[in-house]
Amino acid sequence: MEYYFGILQNIGFHTLLGLSAYLLLLTGQLSMAQVGFFAIGAYASGILTVIYGINIFLALGVGALIASFFAFLVGFPALRIKGLMLVIATIAFSEIVRLYFFNLRWLVEKNGVEVGPDGAQGFREIRYFAANGWEPYHIVSFIWIVVILVLFALWWLDRVKAGSVLRAVGEDELAAQSSGINLTVVKVSAMTGGGFIAGIAGGLYAHSTTYVDHNSFTILLATFAVAYPILGGLKNVFGTLFAVIFIQGILIEGLRFLGDYRNLLFGLLIILVMNFYPKGLINIPLFNWSKLVKRRDI
Amino acid sequence: MISKIKSLKLAALAFATVIAGGAVADTIKIAGWGAKSGPLRSFGVNSEAIIKAAIDRVNENGGVKLADGSMAKMSYDYYDSACNAEQGIAIARKVASETNALIGIGPTCSGVAAASFGVFQKKVGDSSDTGLQMPLLTDTAVRNGLAKISQWTFRNTPNEPDMYDKLFAWIAKTNPEIKTIYGGTETNQGHSAGTYSKVIVQAAVRHGFEWVNGPIDEVSGKIGSGFKNVLSSSSNWLMEDTNFSVQARAFKKSGADLFIVSSHPFTTCGFLKELSRMKGMPKMMVGLTSSSSAEVMKGCPKQAEGMIIPTSFAPITAAAKEVAALAAANGGSADLHSAAAWENVMIIKDVIEAVGITGDPSKVKEERAKMRDGLEALETTEGLIGKVTRVQDEGEALKPFVFVHAKNGNWEVLHDPRK
Repeated sequence: MEYYFGILQNIGFHTLLGLSAYLLLLTGQLSMAQVGFFAIGAYASGILTVIYGINIFLALGVGALIASFFAFLVGFPALRIKGLMLVIATIAFSEIVRLYFFNLRWLVEKNGVEVGPDGAQGFREIRYFAANGWEPYHIVSFIWIVVILVLFALWWLDRVKAGSVLRAVGEDELAAQSSGINLTVVKVSAMTGGGFIAGIAGGLYAHSTTYVDHNSFTILLATFAVAYPILGGLKNVFGTLFAVIFIQGILIEGLRFLGDYRNLLFGLLIILVMNFYPKGLINIPLFNWSKLVKRRDI
Repeated sequence: MISKIKSLKLAALAFATVIAGGAVADTIKIAGWGAKSGPLRSFGVNSEAIIKAAIDRVNENGGVKLADGSMAKMSYDYYDSACNAEQGIAIARKVASETNALIGIGPTCSGVAAASFGVFQKKVGDSSDTGLQMPLLTDTAVRNGLAKISQWTFRNTPNEPDMYDKLFAWIAKTNPEIKTIYGGTETNQGHSAGTYSKVIVQAAVRHGFEWVNGPIDEVSGKIGSGFKNVLSSSSNWLMEDTNFSVQARAFKKSGADLFIVSSHPFTTCGFLKELSRMKGMPKMMVGLTSSSSAEVMKGCPKQAEGMIIPTSFAPITAAAKEVAALAAANGGSADLHSAAAWENVMIIKDVIEAVGITGDPSKVKEERAKMRDGLEALETTEGLIGKVTRVQDEGEALKPFVFVHAKNGNWEVLHDPRK
């Protein structure tokens, strides 16, 4: 079972990463910065549990808050740009973060062993779960409680006025502004919220894999983060979950024996979905997902 | 007639069941994993080819002797971990929980090893630690000090500090005209950059070679000293780079007697081609252990001519020559990384026979622990080019090695430090 629990863990934190991008996509912001927030959450919570011996719950919370603080800061300059310029700017942010951790060396001796981030050698032994007797089903349950809470929060958000405001900004900024919506508040809030979710995802990722290095946070992961909600569909939060299950569970794990051809399939899938289901996998009639999870019309 | 067919079918079914049941009981499974996709694909392909050849050899010789004296065949499954930590961990979990494999061999990349070793139980018998409990004997991931992450993980990989120490001692003795050094590495590859800045340059300094622009601050020759300054004083590149003109120009401009090129085959060749185009070749070049492979000889044999690398594999013994031939026959090539996979299979066979494995799938957990204990008890193992000493408090190996140099499109042995 441990293997399947492991896959569920992967699907869990990838879903959170996708949801962080989903929140921004609702406001029309295509952000590649999510991987930067993810990295901040991973390193911050890892440092807190490994170097300071802090409880995982607190470490994840603090890691997510630090990530959301940086997201808040990124949110302001991001207001001035959109479209491709925003993509380039957020890629630059993620690269700055990645290269910062690439150079971060913060080793502390604990029980005769040096622990902590070690530049290009990475940050090993983030073993809070195993070292504290957490069984695989404890870990997977914990991750999925977080995923469900975030899913529920975003689902609920989509059913209240705030969600309508986010979508209104995403549909037509000018019209939204004309009707009295404060773009600065909406966009910066979405960026901050997305950063918080990505920060939690990063913390869970670091503790689940027990090791992170700069290579864990490349542009490829940033692409996956935005691909999940786009591929799954923005109609509701479950599209992202569906896309993550499809990519991580089926394409990556299920088709491992295909080697490099898995990447070809991923590209092919995007082309097919964009052509036949431009509103995402969630609209595939076979599953009738959109009917299963009805969203209030706005 | 129908009943006759039915009884024949039943008999065939029963026979098949017995055969199938027997086959399960008479087969010892191992698992391997490494990069079979992505830029480091050749490493996984080579390892798998050699694991297959080694297991075929064991089976041709009758298989492996079990606790009751019977012989069992060995079989393997090889998984693609794509040099990706998440995927490496998923495979480790899959092998440990969903298969009856007694032991694993792999992975390719040091980053994957650092991550996946972390999901294994740190200390054997620690009931508060829920990490995986399955032995792993690594063939490829070579970055320093990884095996001590868990007592379940062992490595049969070369000891680079010792190799480069002896290499520079030998160069200093035999080539007194070589005095100054300069170098570079692919900084986003942990093994290349770490070995370059913490091991290779330090060994050169320790043996009296001078950095071409004057001493580097804090670099004393002690492993790891001033390694950040080593990197900032060098001309470096990234593993994904395809253009090396700036770096090659810096190397040429340095005018050093000896260049250190610490990178994997793909960028090594790119860099050397550019350096050669600029006519910037030095008197001597030293490369990273991982570049003493067939890829460099396929990609840039002329430009690599003369490059010296210490390696724990060269076809200098009958056994090593045979493994090189078998690797080629199985679609791979033998080098210091992949050849270790052959040694690992043979070590596993010896340990199975020494500790008394039954092959009973219901006892797999207990027998994995026996295998681990058996591995830990080893003091020496037979390597392809000589005896390997185990450093068991760290789960590491001290492998014999030779210095090879690129000559006429082949890696030829230049010196054997044991002689």
